[in-house]
Amino acid sequence: MLQYLLKRLLIFLPTLLVISLLTFGLSKMAPGDPVEQRNRDMGGGLQRELRDADRVYRETSEYLGLDKPVFYLSLSSEAYPDTLYRIFKRDERENLVKLIQQYGNWEAISHYYHAIRKADRGTEQLLGKTEAVRSVRPLIKQLYLAYKDERISSLLDKAASQTAGDSTLQATIGISVAQLQETYSQLKTQASPGRLYIPDIKWYGFDNQYHNWITDFLTLDFGESFIDSRPVADKMGDALRWTLTMNLLAIFIAYLLSVPIGVFSAVWKDSTFDRVTTLLLFVLYSLPNFWIATMLVVFFTTPEYGMDWFPSLGLGDLPPEAPFWQRFVEAGTHLVLPVFCLAYGALAFISRQVRGGMLNVIRQDYIRTAWAKGLNSQPVIWKHAFSNALFPIITMFASIFPAVFAGSVVIEVIFNIPGMGKLTVDAIFQRDWPVVYTVLMLAAVLTMSGILVADILYATVDPRVSYGKDKN
Amino acid sequence: MLIGVRKEQELADHLSQQQAPPQSYWSIVRQQFRKNRMAVWSLRVLYLLGFIALFADFIANEKPIYAKLDGESHFPVFRSYAVGLGLDSWEARFFQNSWHEHDYDYVIWAPIPYSAQTMDRNNRNYVAPGDEQDVPSTRFRHWIGTDQLGRDVAAGMIAGTRTAMLVGIVAMSIAAVIGIFLGALAGYFGDERFSISRIRLALNGLGAFLAYFYGFQARSFALSEGTFGWEIFKSLALIAAIMSLVNLLAMWLKGKGVWSRPITIPLDLGVMRLIEVVNSIPGLLLILSIVAIIEEQSVFYIMAIIGLIGWTGIARFIRAELLRVRNLEYIEAAQALGYSEWRIIARHAIPNALTPVLITIAFGIASAILMEAFLSFLGIGVAAEEVTWGSLLNLARSKFSAWWLAIFPGLAIFVTVTVFNLLGEGLTDALDPRRKQ
Repeated sequence: MLQYLLKRLLIFLPTLLVISLLTFGLSKMAPGDPVEQRNRDMGGGLQRELRDADRVYRETSEYLGLDKPVFYLSLSSEAYPDTLYRIFKRDERENLVKLIQQYGNWEAISHYYHAIRKADRGTEQLLGKTEAVRSVRPLIKQLYLAYKDERISSLLDKAASQTAGDSTLQATIGISVAQLQETYSQLKTQASPGRLYIPDIKWYGFDNQYHNWITDFLTLDFGESFIDSRPVADKMGDALRWTLTMNLLAIFIAYLLSVPIGVFSAVWKDSTFDRVTTLLLFVLYSLPNFWIATMLVVFFTTPEYGMDWFPSLGLGDLPPEAPFWQRFVEAGTHLVLPVFCLAYGALAFISRQVRGGMLNVIRQDYIRTAWAKGLNSQPVIWKHAFSNALFPIITMFASIFPAVFAGSVVIEVIFNIPGMGKLTVDAIFQRDWPVVYTVLMLAAVLTMSGILVADILYATVDPRVSYGKDKN
Repeated sequence: MLIGVRKEQELADHLSQQQAPPQSYWSIVRQQFRKNRMAVWSLRVLYLLGFIALFADFIANEKPIYAKLDGESHFPVFRSYAVGLGLDSWEARFFQNSWHEHDYDYVIWAPIPYSAQTMDRNNRNYVAPGDEQDVPSTRFRHWIGTDQLGRDVAAGMIAGTRTAMLVGIVAMSIAAVIGIFLGALAGYFGDERFSISRIRLALNGLGAFLAYFYGFQARSFALSEGTFGWEIFKSLALIAAIMSLVNLLAMWLKGKGVWSRPITIPLDLGVMRLIEVVNSIPGLLLILSIVAIIEEQSVFYIMAIIGLIGWTGIARFIRAELLRVRNLEYIEAAQALGYSEWRIIARHAIPNALTPVLITIAFGIASAILMEAFLSFLGIGVAAEEVTWGSLLNLARSKFSAWWLAIFPGLAIFVTVTVFNLLGEGLTDALDPRRKQ
């Protein structure tokens, strides 16, 4: 058994690896620059000088750990330099990659890039001094993000003609603009796209973003939120409280009702009770919970239809100093509808499983024997039949486990409850990757542990199941 | 006691069936399926939904089906297909005036004379079904109301039917292809029957690397800048060329020294591990995070993602069936006849394992439709101008008094999901061999 457990736990690792790579890859493919976003959110939208802006950018990106290479290694071609990650601005880096993909000559491209930066600095120093620079500077800025030949040429031509038209400009940045043109034409003449077809694997060592994140994660350090710098663990702790409360309540209610319903409708199969409950449960099972939730919100929390019986969305706004009882009642009334929405689906699902399990057991010979012995219905139903029909109820445990964690996404979003589901959806939309990573990884761990727990319970309930000996 | 009575009945059924002439497997299944009234009805509703989805353009359209204008006959709905394909173009007057404003000599409108996107300026701001509506005649009434922009909800529901059915069918087709392929590999070959020569394995590994590099890495600029469909086709052609070249090379090098020694690959183990990994991915969250980062939103991404993570159930079914089937005599007979492994899998093994997969597919379509509805309910994953059941339902949250927006789209989702669930149930019962006796 222990050996089996260890073997199962070992399988966790590749799964986690896949999921970590998947989420990490997703975050790297996501549009938008977390550094810019954070600077904007921190109120850094002010016009800064270039050197200053660069410094702030670099500091933020160091703070977020985004100045490191992304992964241990990268598969690219000869044409790429292995120091590309040092171009720390994401959009500039991506633009340079597009240039590399066209011309394949990093030396020339890097000269061109430095010429842009030089011209940029040159125009910046002129900002207060002459009006004419205002027309040239945007052109230079646009060069950072231009990669198509026509676009770059037209920008360069315009910049050159405007510089030539003004004597001060010509005297100050004339050289750098000319240099720009020269480096760009060199870039085109020295193009070596052939190098793009020679594969090259670059090794970046262990000090990379993925390694830093995953080692932190394995030591249970989940990092800080990109948005408000709170530790992810704290944020999740707060959210988990509500999710757990809601889900445990809902699952408890669902089990409480569904076991007797399932058992009785199986025992009295084809009776009126069975027919009615089966139909009702089927309807309940098929009712989309976000529809029911929306309907409840529309009809029972608003005065529009004269049925304003429940408080509106959220959890109420009593301050934490309010007496516990008052807060309890407040939260309780707000949780009635969400818990109902969570419970009815689980109720229908579990009852159907219990009924199915019981039906399978009841047609067995040993049940007929038990009846034949003249036993009363109670011991036959509960002792002989039900204890053998427990398996589906146990395997369901596996599917309910992760549902506690993430399944209430729908309900929490609709009822605006600050639980795990809402936290996750918000984090995804705000591109708050540390939170998203953690939730996805933990959800996977929970799913796997749920299945494992179910298997182990299965073996405890049914002595015929043994994991020690068989190989499958 | 109840059980005893039922047993007697079953015995009676059994006897009466024995006297009947022998039946084919499918006729028994059909007979069993017909006994289930709910399943039969859900099949009828499904036909109706399919009809609506297929002919959505003729049911709700702002263009007339037939119109006689200034003595000329027009078939605008048919013509819009030609225009969509770029074979035809509209005359200027059809641009300048909306379809409802022309002075037709004679006209046949679609049953709902609005498209999903048509904005009726006179009936903006949530006109209720029972309200007085500013329409020329009852023919143009908005029978189940409008939304804030004056879009007809009924037309939106018709368009939504098409999206929902498309999502269900395409997503599950992707899942079925992947699931059947991987499940068949795992089940038929198991852990011990699949072996290839070392040289072929090594060359295929190298080929995969080179194919990825030349197909995607080296061509990434062309892929991101050129016409996407054409470039991806070129990449795939390149990959196919590299892989077939590598395999030809392996065939040529086979039988030369140590490299020809076979290696057994435990396919079953690999596929089962893969299934475990995919099953422990939190699906909804993954779809949310993928869809949220895609800039150009389209319902096709949702279909693809649902298909890519929804295949595990099908693969398990097929695997279990093939593990059983592969030792049966007719497979051995086919092997003895010298048929290739792939032919045996495709022509003999899979067809016999396919029926239980129908059950998984029916339930899978239901959950795919539910998933799409939920995503568009959250307002992600579908283009903003696209009208779906989920997006209609979402509108109810911004205007609580618009009850028709809360009820009808939700009802449509419910009915569709129920129909597929009932079909799945009916199939489960009909295919259950225990019921046959």
